[in-house]
Amino acid sequence: MIYIDQELCTGCRSCADVCPVDAIVGEFGQPQSVDQELCVMCGQCVQVCSSYASILDEGIAPREQKLAERAMLPSVKEPLFAAYNQGKALKVKEALADPDKYVMVQVAPAVRVAIAEEFGMPLGSLAPGQMAAALRRLGFDRIYSTDFTADLTIMEEGHELIERVTKGGTLPMFTSCCPAWVKYLEQTYPELLPHLSSCKSPQQMAGALFKTYGAKVDKVDPAKVYSVSVMPCTCKDFEANRPEMKASGHQDVDVVITTRELAHLIKDAGIDFASLTEEEYDRPLGLYTGAGTIFGATGGVMEAALRTAYEVITKKPIPELDLEYVRGGEGVRYATVQVGDLELKVCVVSGLKHVAPVLEQVKAGTADFHFMEVMTCPVGCVSGGGQPKALLPKDRICARTARTASTYKHDGELRHRKSHENPDIKKIYKEFLGKPLGEQSHHLLHTTYTPRRRDA
Amino acid sequence: MCALNAFVVADPNKCIGCKVCEVACAVVHSDVPVKTVGQMTTPIIPRLYLVKTAEVTMPVQCRHCEDAPCANACPVGAITQRDGIIYVDQEACVGCKTCMLACPFGAMEMVPYYRNGERVKQLRLTEETGEGPVLQDAFVASKCDRCIGVEGGPACVANCPKEALRVVRPDELRRTRNLEAALAVLESVKNVIG
Amino acid sequence: MTASTFVLADPTKCIGCQSCEIACAVAHLGTSITTAGEMEAPFQPRLRVVRTSQVTMPIQCRHCEDAPCANACPVGAIVRQDGVVLVKEEKCIGCKTCVLACPFGAMDVVPALDKGQRVRQPGLKVQTDEGAAPKERYVAHKCDLCIGRPGGPACVEVCLARALVLVKRGTMARSVKSRRTASAMQIARSGVQPAGANR
Repeated sequence: MIYIDQELCTGCRSCADVCPVDAIVGEFGQPQSVDQELCVMCGQCVQVCSSYASILDEGIAPREQKLAERAMLPSVKEPLFAAYNQGKALKVKEALADPDKYVMVQVAPAVRVAIAEEFGMPLGSLAPGQMAAALRRLGFDRIYSTDFTADLTIMEEGHELIERVTKGGTLPMFTSCCPAWVKYLEQTYPELLPHLSSCKSPQQMAGALFKTYGAKVDKVDPAKVYSVSVMPCTCKDFEANRPEMKASGHQDVDVVITTRELAHLIKDAGIDFASLTEEEYDRPLGLYTGAGTIFGATGGVMEAALRTAYEVITKKPIPELDLEYVRGGEGVRYATVQVGDLELKVCVVSGLKHVAPVLEQVKAGTADFHFMEVMTCPVGCVSGGGQPKALLPKDRICARTARTASTYKHDGELRHRKSHENPDIKKIYKEFLGKPLGEQSHHLLHTTYTPRRRDA
Repeated sequence: MCALNAFVVADPNKCIGCKVCEVACAVVHSDVPVKTVGQMTTPIIPRLYLVKTAEVTMPVQCRHCEDAPCANACPVGAITQRDGIIYVDQEACVGCKTCMLACPFGAMEMVPYYRNGERVKQLRLTEETGEGPVLQDAFVASKCDRCIGVEGGPACVANCPKEALRVVRPDELRRTRNLEAALAVLESVKNVIG
Repeated sequence: MTASTFVLADPTKCIGCQSCEIACAVAHLGTSITTAGEMEAPFQPRLRVVRTSQVTMPIQCRHCEDAPCANACPVGAIVRQDGVVLVKEEKCIGCKTCVLACPFGAMDVVPALDKGQRVRQPGLKVQTDEGAAPKERYVAHKCDLCIGRPGGPACVEVCLARALVLVKRGTMARSVKSRRTASAMQIARSGVQPAGANR
């Protein structure tokens, strides 16, 4: 949940300028508040807010009280701003200290290109290995990566797309990885919900697997598994708490923290991040391909899906892996891809405020594409609301560019770059899931959506 | 005769009160380079201050007075003029607050002293507490230094999203206004004669 | 009504000779023009000749009724005395807010002089590569209408082109009154009737 501290807000409404759903309410010059029903929790207001708690202002509540209100670790030294998201780091610290809990962690693709910034490294520094090492020092029992379930999402969503195209399902199909986008569709265009892919997001797929397959691999009682998720996103906590997200028979994801909160935990434990040597993620749920890691950038889900769909349909290797035509910045992009006999038309929307005109076309039946990727944040998850917050406006832009570049660099350097070539993906289908869109997948990896109409 | 000291001033009609200027000021003056909020281990300590009342919203900062009352009042000579900037030598400051009393703009502030992101302690000054003497934190006078040495000029001006701040060079301003005034008179003469 | 008197130049007459600037500077030195050249005092006129391709004329203070310079001064160093807006130099701190406030650019800040000599500040030093030296005192500087000078403003007196005039309260009043009369006469003669006048 996103809040605005009434004591700190000066009413400049810079947040309202970046809010994609007009959820910031208040008069100019007066403290603002968030319309929680409209809010999609993207956290862009948190990123842009510059109204901080001043040590010279004696009229405001003491820092200790504000840290407690925000559920932040008491050891956090950084300045506090008016717009914030409710933290969960205390719960993670508690779980790590509990000997009865077997704590598994998943880290989203965009976290590894941003976390190092919080330790003084350059904007967009790529640090997957140091992050794995830091998580191990923090005491997590299993260090997994959401990039693995991003690969899994591609397997499921790619096959879903092929099935919808060949067997006549609802088209165009929309991606469903971004929880803010899903909430927006549920509340603003509920009539278009059948267009959403039934695939859960990579976070929720990982959650469902941790307490089933993951528990089985480690021979632990699923009830003892505590599932932690580290996300660049301030809306993933909302997604984890959706009532339907209990496919494993337990709460699939117990707690979600942001990139910034993981940095707080690392500092709180006195770990010197910059001096850590790189370590590997645990297998099987931590091995990932380049396709999985580009989920963090706009166009990434589309690119990953095309790399796999092309080969599944044509049974031939894709001639070019770097699909530059789906990459880019904020806005709407279209592309046509020749996949065997099929002329596949795709659309990529980066920044939720650009999606409404496209959805109007879909409603009117004039949309000329099969598949649409939507990411709420300006250039995808790398610019998420839970990412390190740049102090200066120009650095906010620099950070986006640098994190995107590192994402593609990581993709280029990984051993496997196509989701279907991930050995542990092949293994999980063989040992546990069966086949994409199969019965087990249907139960654990797919979901349904709820129309939410705003009361007048 | 050398030029009058330049200064930064805000336009209250453009300012939205977002405090980006204050944040930018603190960032460029941090002796440890900082880019993200999480990198900061110190509070945000700016050298200009947003004023927000029912009547006016704008930041206020030093005018770099030619006869700087702060400097003339300082008992230890910690405030001097360098390259057209009224400058506080924080190492020399004794925290007496006389400059705060002297400045008619409220541009002077007494702030906690940080070096390398750490609070600086007093040499010997302790406070008597129940648990014995405790070494105290140091405070220093702090004011706008017009971002001396910062590439791109004052950070508040460079980062304001509404372009509400500008550097005023008094001599240039006077010449521009002189010309505008002359043109206005020329215009009025035309009306009467023509 | 105590509307202020002020000096105004006529741009159609001014030839840009800058005699007014010299006369002003000398008049405020309290010495004659013959000895002025031998003094070390800086050249500090209180009006400035604008010379561009569009316009040539000196600009000086209008002695505004609601003087923005005085209203902006943080230390109350700008006051009105007998209709003249004056700087109380002893109070001035050289903050330049008056320069910022004046829409004409009629305000300047210059080294203060005492008997033609520059004055040192008690505390403020200027740091240079050569070390620290006391800074000279600076004060706000503006037209004072040559208050106390028997011949009135020196600039007006010296102008060969007769481009400068002292606009007095009476001059203004007569001019405005005659314009009003002319305006009324024009309407009456042309037979123009305001709409709805013959209801």
